[in-house]
Amino acid sequence: MSVVLRDPDAAADLTAPAPSRGGLLWQTIRRRPSAAIGTTVLLLVTGAAVLAPWIAPYGLHDQVGPPFGPPSAQHPLGLDDGGIDMVTLLMWGARISLVVGFAATLVSIAIGGTIGMLAGYFGGKADVILMRITDYFLVIPDVPLMIVVAAIWGPSLFHIVIVIGILLWTSTARVIRAQVKSVRERVYVKRARSLGAGHARIVFRHVLPQVAPLLIANTVLTIAVAIFDETALSFLGLGDPSRISLGKVIENAFQRAAISSGAWWAIVPPGVIVALVILSCSLIGGALEDALNPRLRVAHVSARTFRLRPLVGRSEASL
Amino acid sequence: MRGADYVIKRTLFALVTVFAAITMNFALFRLAPGDAVSNLSRVPHATPETRLAIKKQFGLDKSKGEQYALYLRQLVHGNLGVSFANSQPVSSNLRTAIVNSIPMVLLGTVFAIIVGTLTGVMAAWRRGTPLETVSVTTALGFYSMPTHWLGLMLVILFAGILPTGGMTNEFLIDPSWWTHFKDVVTHMALPSLTLGLVLYGEYTLIVRSAMLETLGEDYILTARAKGLRPWTIVRRHALRNALLPIATLVALSLGYIVAGAILIETVFSWPGIGRAVYDAVLARDYPMLQGAFLILTVSVVFFNLVADLVYFKLDPRITQ
Amino acid sequence: MTALLEVEDLHVWFDLQDGGELHAVQGVSVGVEPGERLGLVGESGCGKTTTVLALMGLLPPSASASGRVLLEGKDVLAGGEASMRPHRWTDVAIIFQGAMNALNPVQTIGSQIVEAIELHGRARRTAARVQTGELLESVGIPAARADRFPHELSGGMRQRAAIAMALSCHPKVLIADEPTTALDVMVQAQILELLDSLCRDFGLALILVTHDLPVVAQLCDHGAVMYAGEIVERGLVDTLYHAPRHPYTRLLFAATPDLGQEAEEIVSIPGAPPRLDRPLVGCPFRPRCDSAFGPCATARPLLRSVSDVQSAACHLNDLHSGAPG
Repeated sequence: MSVVLRDPDAAADLTAPAPSRGGLLWQTIRRRPSAAIGTTVLLLVTGAAVLAPWIAPYGLHDQVGPPFGPPSAQHPLGLDDGGIDMVTLLMWGARISLVVGFAATLVSIAIGGTIGMLAGYFGGKADVILMRITDYFLVIPDVPLMIVVAAIWGPSLFHIVIVIGILLWTSTARVIRAQVKSVRERVYVKRARSLGAGHARIVFRHVLPQVAPLLIANTVLTIAVAIFDETALSFLGLGDPSRISLGKVIENAFQRAAISSGAWWAIVPPGVIVALVILSCSLIGGALEDALNPRLRVAHVSARTFRLRPLVGRSEASL
Repeated sequence: MRGADYVIKRTLFALVTVFAAITMNFALFRLAPGDAVSNLSRVPHATPETRLAIKKQFGLDKSKGEQYALYLRQLVHGNLGVSFANSQPVSSNLRTAIVNSIPMVLLGTVFAIIVGTLTGVMAAWRRGTPLETVSVTTALGFYSMPTHWLGLMLVILFAGILPTGGMTNEFLIDPSWWTHFKDVVTHMALPSLTLGLVLYGEYTLIVRSAMLETLGEDYILTARAKGLRPWTIVRRHALRNALLPIATLVALSLGYIVAGAILIETVFSWPGIGRAVYDAVLARDYPMLQGAFLILTVSVVFFNLVADLVYFKLDPRITQ
Repeated sequence: MTALLEVEDLHVWFDLQDGGELHAVQGVSVGVEPGERLGLVGESGCGKTTTVLALMGLLPPSASASGRVLLEGKDVLAGGEASMRPHRWTDVAIIFQGAMNALNPVQTIGSQIVEAIELHGRARRTAARVQTGELLESVGIPAARADRFPHELSGGMRQRAAIAMALSCHPKVLIADEPTTALDVMVQAQILELLDSLCRDFGLALILVTHDLPVVAQLCDHGAVMYAGEIVERGLVDTLYHAPRHPYTRLLFAATPDLGQEAEEIVSIPGAPPRLDRPLVGCPFRPRCDSAFGPCATARPLLRSVSDVQSAACHLNDLHSGAPG
């Protein structure tokens, strides 16, 4: 044994860790430009979608011109195949797309979060079984299964949401399980256990707050995938025929030969909005993940090298 | 032998997963409520005798348990049922479709892997410079675009320059091998490009991440201390180690390729397996759907297994 | 007397994510003569590893440095990475902590040593492999093990392999950064033995970075104690132990009842080192010092000679009469 110089980091484990969840989210947005841009765009689109009934320039079913009318002063994005104003269509379409995206994500997070929590917390046999199930689901190609289930079950908003949710939970489950496992090892959880706290109490009081930030990051990323999936399903004709989502707008344009008519405005904008929403979610989710699992190590090699500065010089006595 | 356990374990897992997929496939289609899906004898234009023959062949008059056993036996013989749409065996329909899909998907995937790897390495190498930000943002941008929408964008851009539908020009009568080849390739250009663009973004991020992770390892510092030039270190030490996570993640992304193929083939009317799925959905051609879904699932399992084995080959540390 | 390797007024800063800077090394001046053994001691985070990395120019892109690094009188830091690289391994070599992943896991240890030999033009192919075999034997590894991967060797063997690789191009200075920290006690002793005999046989200068004081006592003649990015005391190891002139040194060495014997308990100095991302006022050790007085709060003590074999940075030394200024 030798004299061990006190490691100042050693004290950290005994204090309750984790910054507040809201604080972390806000901090990340403030610090990282990517997250800030993503949040802004997302808020803009969501805002427009939520306020659509009040701020849409025209009625959703009002034919205000000829089919595929070109962009003009009154209709900056032109008209669709039914003569309906594109801007209005996009706002209402965004509503459905976002609703489906959020709802499906909710389903997926509920399933994945629970499974991950159970597997990570209890470990042992439960863990093994749950992870096997997760592995099987992981391997199934998402879109084909969605297509099959939607085809059998029939298209309706509810079915779509469930179908998407049932397939997206795997990544959440894995991430949550890993985090729960590492949190469980923390000293204070063991302490709470020895004081006789029940499982439920431990999970909600101690584990959940630690897991929440990562869960949020994963949720945001899942929303991106859910919206993509909804677009895909709509395009393949499996979306809810009674509702207009952005995916449906694209499908309609495709089916009604918008391209050969030269009506690019019927196809380009809806996709741009979807892409922007997905991009924003990816940026926010990615920034959160980075903030939570910072890469502690620095790349030792890159095109840049360390820099030199002029000599500092301190008056020094003879050596 | 070191690692034989690992190979056996992974193969076993793959086999069990395939079996689970087969069972789920059966459950999904045969057990679904309503006659429409589970009644495979509803082939249109079939005579009552044919219908009866099919009923017997697939045991639709037997119990579910017996149907299941029959189903398995037929699978082993490659019998996937008869398509509602063209009254042909599903297996031969699928075979043609797969053969059509492979070159297009392969071209797109190879493009994505090459471009993704190059941009990923460049982004990691030029960390902290505007070049990195630009490459990452562009990659994310393409990655965020809905596959079918991107296809449509390319159609708008290239209509008139490149063919935008089908795999061949139907008006070419009895073309020479070379003409036919050129014909197919020009038709393949846009769909493959779409697939490539949608995929490459994810690979850029994966490669960049793996490289940065690897470049932070201690042995990289040792290599630098030995006096190796930075680019040599990247080439000889980092890339080799980064290959491991890259290979795994590429394999895991294969499920996404399948999804992308469905959307792309629909946009470009490419007569591949994705298009077959779409047509089957439209026509509610359940035997085709069932067969296609099974094939797709099995192929993803297969590629995951391949990835596991590749990983095993590349990493001398796998024992167990 | 021209020192073999000498550092003058070295400063290293690291860019922080928030935009600030961490002043990790604050004006370090230290050197070794040929064959001399220097022990660099201090707590984790005091800047000793950064200092020795800077000696070889192994700083990351987020770092900036100033000062002079003189190798046989020539300043090699002046040209940045480009001027430092030619001297790596052939003049100065380094081995890292035992637990580190310091060897490439997907290459055999033999091929990694051969790489070093071939890179510096010492030999090629077969000749290089023969040399590798000899090097491995000289550190106590059977030559046949050259075809093994790092994970197939024990921690001690890996460290030996790292030493063999470090010596492959006959450097003049060997830097050992916490070489035995992660190893078992028995293996520690063997590795230290090995370092001792190799340095003696090849006349190598040794810079040993560690927080383990008995190791320094065993292996080194000179010692330098670092705290908060600067050297607070420097001199012969014996003198540092018997007659320290800085409270930090005194507290460190006093904790060990007898060098060479095991301590009965782990003693630590209460408190924590100061943050280096802000400018320091006064003596950095003052909050933890048991002898702080007036000037300590406002003036930062400079490293001054207190005898011809010892220097310390402490205001207390200015009080004692007879101490050469």
